[in-house]
Amino acid sequence: MNDQLLAAVTQYGPAALFGIVTIAAIGAPLPITLLLIVVGSMVSQGAMNLWWALGVASAGSILGDQAGYAIGRWGGTAAVTRLSRLFGKQTSLQAMEAKAKAWGGAGIFVTRWLIGPLGPWINLASGTAGYPWRRFLFWDSLGEVTGAVVFISLGRFFSDRVMALYAVLGDVTWAIAALLAAVILGIQLLPRLRRAR
Amino acid sequence: MNETWRRTLALGVAFVLALAGTYIFASRASRRARQIDTATEPIHAWMSIPFIAHTYHVPAAVLFQAIGVPPLKPRDRRSVRRIARELNRPVPELISQLQRAIDTAAQPQGGPPR
Repeated sequence: MNDQLLAAVTQYGPAALFGIVTIAAIGAPLPITLLLIVVGSMVSQGAMNLWWALGVASAGSILGDQAGYAIGRWGGTAAVTRLSRLFGKQTSLQAMEAKAKAWGGAGIFVTRWLIGPLGPWINLASGTAGYPWRRFLFWDSLGEVTGAVVFISLGRFFSDRVMALYAVLGDVTWAIAALLAAVILGIQLLPRLRRAR
Repeated sequence: MNETWRRTLALGVAFVLALAGTYIFASRASRRARQIDTATEPIHAWMSIPFIAHTYHVPAAVLFQAIGVPPLKPRDRRSVRRIARELNRPVPELISQLQRAIDTAAQPQGGPPR
């Protein structure tokens, strides 16, 4: 499936890119980072215009995120559960709502690109938690444009090293996720250890 | 051991595991980043011939010729998988043929070193 999506982008360009990033932003688990790196490489080869690529990738992702937010806001719990099942994930909505509330705008921003897999769930949770739409749109747009610029630029720069770059970025993402987990656990652990003394 | 201690211990173990994960992934990322210029890029079925040509710094015409396919004008962006389907040939066979053409093109003029 991933192979076919990547082939579609190399062959059909912006139209395929728009469709895929939109579906991924709604919640389908697709390799968007690799896709944007490949697009960057295509820009470097002259097969796609840079501004088109950035515009289409950002617009598609923002549209998908808004759809996710709208489902969370107006679709109700049943729609959210159906969407989770459709994409094969059962995430605790309450846990995600708590994260969306605690992280606020910064959480929306980083889950657009730095911790991408959480993005669709934060969209749904922001909707169900009633996070203000204008603020959501602002942080969402900022994050998606940042993601498109970062990954397409990396793809342009390492245009003949696409798979090697993807492997590096995969490890970086895991390292960041593990570090975040260590920080959160450390914050919980410290008061317990102080009390124990 | 009471419940509070058990929870603290579990948190401690999780904290150490998270730190270990951070170290493992960060060091692997750093090692891979240092080798990015020398790492071998595998040919994938989703890649187009111009994409492979760009990756290996070989003219696209050489690769099209190697698999016996005249490129479509003005820009042939068909994937390896699609070309294989159109030619009714297995994808791995086409990839091996492309790899051989790349290896030949990478050899210095005058044949392989003795």
